[in-house]
Amino acid sequence: MHTTFYLRRLHSLCGLLVLGMVLFEHIFTNSMAMLGPEGLNTALEMMELIPKPIFLGLELGGIAVPLLFHGLYGIYIALQANNNPRRFGYLRNWNFTLQRWTAWFLVVFLIWHVGYLRFYVKGVTGTPISFELLQNFFQNPIVVVLYILGMWAAIFHFCNGITTFCMTWGITKGPRSQNVISVISMCLCAALCLVTVAFMASYFIY
Amino acid sequence: MADKVRFIIERQDGPNDKPYTQEFDVDYRPGLNVVAALMEIQKNPVTVDGKRVPPVTWECNCLEKVCGACMMVINGRARQACCALVDEIQQPIHLAPARTFPVIRDLLIDRSVMFESLKKIQGWVELDGSWEVKDAPIQNPYTAQTAYEISHCMTCGCCLEACPNVGPQSDFIGPAPTVQAYLFNLHPLGKFDAPKRLNALMEKGGITSCGNSQNCVEVCPKSIKLTTYLAQLNRDVNLQALKNIFNF
Repeated sequence: MHTTFYLRRLHSLCGLLVLGMVLFEHIFTNSMAMLGPEGLNTALEMMELIPKPIFLGLELGGIAVPLLFHGLYGIYIALQANNNPRRFGYLRNWNFTLQRWTAWFLVVFLIWHVGYLRFYVKGVTGTPISFELLQNFFQNPIVVVLYILGMWAAIFHFCNGITTFCMTWGITKGPRSQNVISVISMCLCAALCLVTVAFMASYFIY
Repeated sequence: MADKVRFIIERQDGPNDKPYTQEFDVDYRPGLNVVAALMEIQKNPVTVDGKRVPPVTWECNCLEKVCGACMMVINGRARQACCALVDEIQQPIHLAPARTFPVIRDLLIDRSVMFESLKKIQGWVELDGSWEVKDAPIQNPYTAQTAYEISHCMTCGCCLEACPNVGPQSDFIGPAPTVQAYLFNLHPLGKFDAPKRLNALMEKGGITSCGNSQNCVEVCPKSIKLTTYLAQLNRDVNLQALKNIFNF
């Protein structure tokens, strides 16, 4: 009964709350790079203090499962849209389209990001992630550009997601409250995008 | 000032035929609208190349933006042809059928899918009799304004044409039929069937297919606050889901 309804609502909750937390954790931890190598390495070592089974459980239940569900069901949702921002170039329609374009980019980006850093480097080779490792990784300018774009895409997708979450759950009903949330979430988007640039720059400063 | 108005019309001979375009010139006159221009073309269906062709087919009834029948894509925008004044739109004027719906011929489309959607959401009030006027249940005066606004919907299909989530790739019933559920839920007798309508909206192709692109509210020729009522219905279906789960 009403499988579509519950899947859609779960998709919405999962994206905003669970994956939003994952995004914030990434931004928070990575911001430590702004304090230099010791800053990031200390933060990463702190995370290593979490007992392995709990950490793995968190990775599986808090990231892998929600991400796979949100991603796969999201692909199904994105395929139901026939993006038409050129015919109907309203701001919200552009955001609708960007929500889907960033989603497609993130599918590819996250396969690369998780596949390389988590599965290959940390999993297969057993190398712990560190400031030096990332600094080395970011020697390639293409990697840097793709990582900044990946972060920006995720941040926009999340922030625009706040606006649409509020509509989907009927929290913001009229155009005025919807615009207020939209402006706030886009300010958050701009701020987080700047933070990303700042911590990415620190790999070239230190 | 030009005495001729150029129309570039996307035509199609049958439901499965390939579309092609033809251009027509129509004598300008003050107050000319797209329907009147199509009537001129019908009288003398000669293209700008001087070729006599079958007249352009389209649909219209009321000619005063009430019936919804003459909805077509004019200069890329879904709107009513009867109130599209030549003086107010860019020339040459491009006309095309609203391809969200099956095209029957030229600008004539089959909009019956919206009627099927209205059946799905129970877009009517169940009655088992009638009252004397003085005994009839009254409209809530606090929601009458809203009900009146939504009742202006003429199922023209502009919102479905503009919605990126309506089309052959999706089973979304679209903004217009969805918001009609709210109109009938506001009705003093219709409200008894509100759970039925909300449950129907929770099905595949219902309100959950809305992706908040908000094109619908931009193009609605009757200025119905579609997105506001969609958000209200989102509240209502969430509450209905809780009622379903906890059986209250």
